[in-house]
Amino acid sequence: MSDAMKIGGIDKRWVYLLVAIGALIPIIKPLGLPVLSTPAVEALFEKIESLEPGDVIMLSFDYGPSSAPELDPMAESILRHCFQRDISVVVVALFPLGGDNQAKIALNKIVPEFPVVEGEDYVYLGYKDGGLAVLRRMAEDISIVFPQDNRGIPLEDIPLMQRVQNYSDTELSVSLATGIMGEWWAILVNAQFGQPVAVGATAVSAPKYYAYLKAGQMLSLLGGLKGAAEYETLIGEHYPELKERSQIATRGMDVQSIVHLIIIGFIILGNIVYLISRSERTRAGGRLASK
Amino acid sequence: MPLSDLIGIWVAAFLTLAIYSFLYKDNPVYRFAESIFVGISLGYEIGLVFYRTIWPNLVERLIANPGPNWYLAIGGILGLMLYCRYIPKISFLGKWALAVYIGYFVGVELMQRLHGDVLPQIKDTMLPLNGPFWGSLQNLLIVVGVLSVLIYFYFSKPHTGILKPISKVGVYFIMICFGASFGYTVMARISLLIGRLTFLVDGWVRPMIALIFGSS
Repeated sequence: MSDAMKIGGIDKRWVYLLVAIGALIPIIKPLGLPVLSTPAVEALFEKIESLEPGDVIMLSFDYGPSSAPELDPMAESILRHCFQRDISVVVVALFPLGGDNQAKIALNKIVPEFPVVEGEDYVYLGYKDGGLAVLRRMAEDISIVFPQDNRGIPLEDIPLMQRVQNYSDTELSVSLATGIMGEWWAILVNAQFGQPVAVGATAVSAPKYYAYLKAGQMLSLLGGLKGAAEYETLIGEHYPELKERSQIATRGMDVQSIVHLIIIGFIILGNIVYLISRSERTRAGGRLASK
Repeated sequence: MPLSDLIGIWVAAFLTLAIYSFLYKDNPVYRFAESIFVGISLGYEIGLVFYRTIWPNLVERLIANPGPNWYLAIGGILGLMLYCRYIPKISFLGKWALAVYIGYFVGVELMQRLHGDVLPQIKDTMLPLNGPFWGSLQNLLIVVGVLSVLIYFYFSKPHTGILKPISKVGVYFIMICFGASFGYTVMARISLLIGRLTFLVDGWVRPMIALIFGSS
């Protein structure tokens, strides 16, 4: 067996180990690599910057723990940005496997950082099953779908919800989505009801969503951890007092950079080994044919 | 640190390591963790849907105010009919409910896709090619990409003659698309790894070291 074939037959567990080491080092000792923002993310930041204090946005937690490393930092940054600017937030959860929990975790973490009052500055309406049906009904009347908030208080008794009957009473809807749910907001809430929609998507879904972004069906797209890190960067640039608190995704991008370099190295190595092996096989085949 | 938090952190750390042990090789600890995940996920979803949707949106409304809410019972009955498939004698009722559900969903989805997906995307592909150079080049790339990929997926005629080179161009566009998707997928999977490793380092190892050796 040639050296090239030996390298080609390397136990994949060595690759896992190298990736694990490459990921652990920046977690233990962050490198502080720069993150540059892109127009797709800046659009959401600028939209929230353009809102007046007291304006309302809807934030939908359409993901569970399996997407939390990517989407939690987005949720936290957007909530911080809104509360910092006195923008009111109507929070809902539409993802069955953990959307409710992720919303509670984010609110429990961010709310104590600001002098905001539940029911006046923000409200959490809880989880509702039904996906598309829920989105459709909320265009008519949110209280049909969510008769009460997460605490069990009827919507008519909540000051914030007295100002909000449906999408048209909000300035923007933001969906932090896994799977197909971000697409629903674009093709239904934006395309049919005209509501500006921004989507924070997992990186797996992001490539597909660029078509909606380009077609204007999404105001903004935050793609995966990179999108979250970009938003954190924008928050840090405009609100230095929030910078230290909004660093989770930015730290993660250090790991991404190192691990991507390792993976690129393996892809190049794999291709070199493949080409050498192929040329060796061709030569060996030629010798056999000549005999 | 409260004892409940401590136990929770250790259980989470154990389950994380149990799942990652699959990378070494399949083993009973991995399968134990996997089974726990599947079971808890299902139980969680059933409880959540019942207490957050079925109870407040159906049962409570029917009990409190049945007059104007009678129509909600139709949805409830159709939902119950789905479970008739488990009783052989009346399993046909499950098919009726499924037929209603499919009919509704197709009707809604068809118009929704047309208005929300197909038409806006077609509109966005009709781009001017006579503007500033770089803008036009970008638009040309999109137009060529869409047309060549559509021709690649046009199977009513053999890909010979003029169709052959055009579909070949379509293949290159598809390959670039797959490459971009793969890159994003790698980023997503690494993000999950980051999430778990960050928990293990910052949520488990560091607090335990601080607990054992003091937080100084």
